[in-house]
Amino acid sequence: MDALINGLIEILKPIGITEPVFQFMLVNAILGVSIYLTLYCGLFSLANAGFMAIGAYVGVILTQSFDLPLFGALLGGMIAAGLIAIPIGIPTLRLRDIYLAIATIGFGEIVRIMILNFDDFVGSILTLVQGERVRFTLIEGARGIKGIPKLTESWHLILFLLILMFFLTRLHHSRLGRAMTAIRQDEIAAASMGINVVYVKNVVFIMSAILAGAAGVFSGHLTRIVTPQAFGFDKTVDILAFAVLGGTSTWFGPIVGGLVLTALPESLRFLKEYRGVFTGLVLLVVIVYLPGGLINTTSWSKFIRRFTNRPESPPDENSGHSTTRAN
Amino acid sequence: MKRSRIVLYLLIITSVALLPFVAMAQDEVATEDVQIGFWDECPAPENLPETVSIGAIFGLSGPISVYGGSQSQAVELALTEINESGYLGEGVTLVAITEDSAGDGEQAIAAMTKLVEEDQVVAVLGPTLSTEAFSADPVAQENGTSVMGVSNTAIGITDMGDYVFRDSLPESSVIPGTIAQATTILGLERVGVLYGNDDDFTLSGYDVFVQALEDNNIEIIGEETFARGDVDFNPQLTSLIAGEPDALVVSALAAEAVQIITQARALGYEGPIIGGNGLNSPAVLEQSGEASNGVIVGAAWNIANPAPLSVEFAMNFEEAYEAAPDQFAAQAYTGAWLYATAIRCADSVDRTEIRDALAAIQDFPSPLGLFSFAEDRNPIHDPVVQIAQDGKFAVLGAEE
Repeated sequence: MDALINGLIEILKPIGITEPVFQFMLVNAILGVSIYLTLYCGLFSLANAGFMAIGAYVGVILTQSFDLPLFGALLGGMIAAGLIAIPIGIPTLRLRDIYLAIATIGFGEIVRIMILNFDDFVGSILTLVQGERVRFTLIEGARGIKGIPKLTESWHLILFLLILMFFLTRLHHSRLGRAMTAIRQDEIAAASMGINVVYVKNVVFIMSAILAGAAGVFSGHLTRIVTPQAFGFDKTVDILAFAVLGGTSTWFGPIVGGLVLTALPESLRFLKEYRGVFTGLVLLVVIVYLPGGLINTTSWSKFIRRFTNRPESPPDENSGHSTTRAN
Repeated sequence: MKRSRIVLYLLIITSVALLPFVAMAQDEVATEDVQIGFWDECPAPENLPETVSIGAIFGLSGPISVYGGSQSQAVELALTEINESGYLGEGVTLVAITEDSAGDGEQAIAAMTKLVEEDQVVAVLGPTLSTEAFSADPVAQENGTSVMGVSNTAIGITDMGDYVFRDSLPESSVIPGTIAQATTILGLERVGVLYGNDDDFTLSGYDVFVQALEDNNIEIIGEETFARGDVDFNPQLTSLIAGEPDALVVSALAAEAVQIITQARALGYEGPIIGGNGLNSPAVLEQSGEASNGVIVGAAWNIANPAPLSVEFAMNFEEAYEAAPDQFAAQAYTGAWLYATAIRCADSVDRTEIRDALAAIQDFPSPLGLFSFAEDRNPIHDPVVQIAQDGKFAVLGAEE
């Protein structure tokens, strides 16, 4: 396994992908799947960075303060994120579209601010109880938890992703997977078919949170420091971009999106400070010309037709502007 | 007639040709008394290859590019000077491979890995932020490559390993000096503390302030907090001022500092306001106007520093980039010179030998003053304690 990974990295090195980059690519692929699950069910949830923070902090505290191995921390982080997702999901998943997005952004901010003030908060309670000034330190607020050993190995991530892929292929043909598709296409119709919409939505939300939590645990043990700033709104947007670039028609899309968007800034290092512009440009081109994402056959065939000037095979009212050009 | 003309031409040509040499001779005389570098302590190196590469990781894009940009410029300026003066011996060029980290820990790790493992640089400057350093520096440590933070001020940077250095005075060195001097000169007994609790920089500033106040037996009559982006500090300030403190101690970044200063003055507080590094900016004084009188700040470097090397650096930087250098630029510039000196003294491109030579640097003349590395690879040089007067910083105790 190790030799295989090393060989792969040797091949990727000329395009700027060293081992740490490769590992971050895999972590982001997990995050891509995390947001894919909710999007696949028609839920526009942006809580992934918040759950990632919970996973990272719980995982790091478990390995640092309780001396658990990474596997224990991974389970702990995933369970913690999953448990917190239950009370968050039940009320917020009644919201639709953009309102759900707003509520879940709010959740992410709450997590960040809780982390910032957690030590002060516990400290002030202890001060009240004990009657003298107590300074409590566990998660260090904005200072972040430092000096975390790098426990995550490439094979952990590859193994996790392989299991995840297997799970996803099974999911699509399962009862739950079909229920997810039905809810995305028409919630009312799905409900009238006998699908428990609230239950399915919550299960999907919890699965998404568990994956984000796992990514958090891995990422915390890669970056060697966890700070609340790393899980802000920027991170949420990054995660959403994985899904947008890769497309959400199959689970493979967000994985490719996560891999490509992480590798791109590193491969473009020769562009210096303009590489961000290029990454943005790639994203823009995909959104404009391949609305379905990179991994979507219909959007590619539309894209190719655009340049070969062949008329669209089934003329529909959406392509009105292209038919007027024929006059 | 014709012959005398030829003689005249020859005379003019030779004098023109000789002019640069005469000018250079004059230059040497002018700069002999203040010269950066260990010209005498270490002999000119002989065993260096033609090109020696160091790496530099700065935030060139994203929100921190305002710092990273001038740091990278300062390094380029230092390298130009080093190469033109032949500091590393004739025909040896020191080059910097600069990588962007965008203020992001993951990218800093990637950049560090690229520099240390792929580009095989002999040493690395940066990264810009302390949080990036906590992520990326262990990569250099594991590979036995020196890394020198030029703007990392958080506690515990150099604890990461014996290859991790910094030339930026941590808040823990600047603030105790500031408090001690302010106590002696102003006779402080009771102070109120106001700090931002959602930022690594202001929070570690707060930690050090509290320690320094305890060490000087100053009573803290109240502590108040705020968050980044707050605009109204009246509740916190009213509660602090009600305790009639001798001074307000503020750990804030520039944007909030301006509001705190003006609002404290508007509430009728006239005493000194002692700040951390966030207040060490001409912009803070400019924006708070009259209210800024009495603001006391300690800093590693200030453009008003009258030391000859510092003046020369500020002049050269402004000439090259048409912008005034900030403290981080001065530290980046010094960092590049420190590496050049370590390479000169080691007379080798071996990473371990360079590390040892770097750790041995004592009393290096630099824009920051006489610079030494402590046992724990933290910098030692005197901070400047300054007080704001009529919109300008003056050295505390020597004002007016």
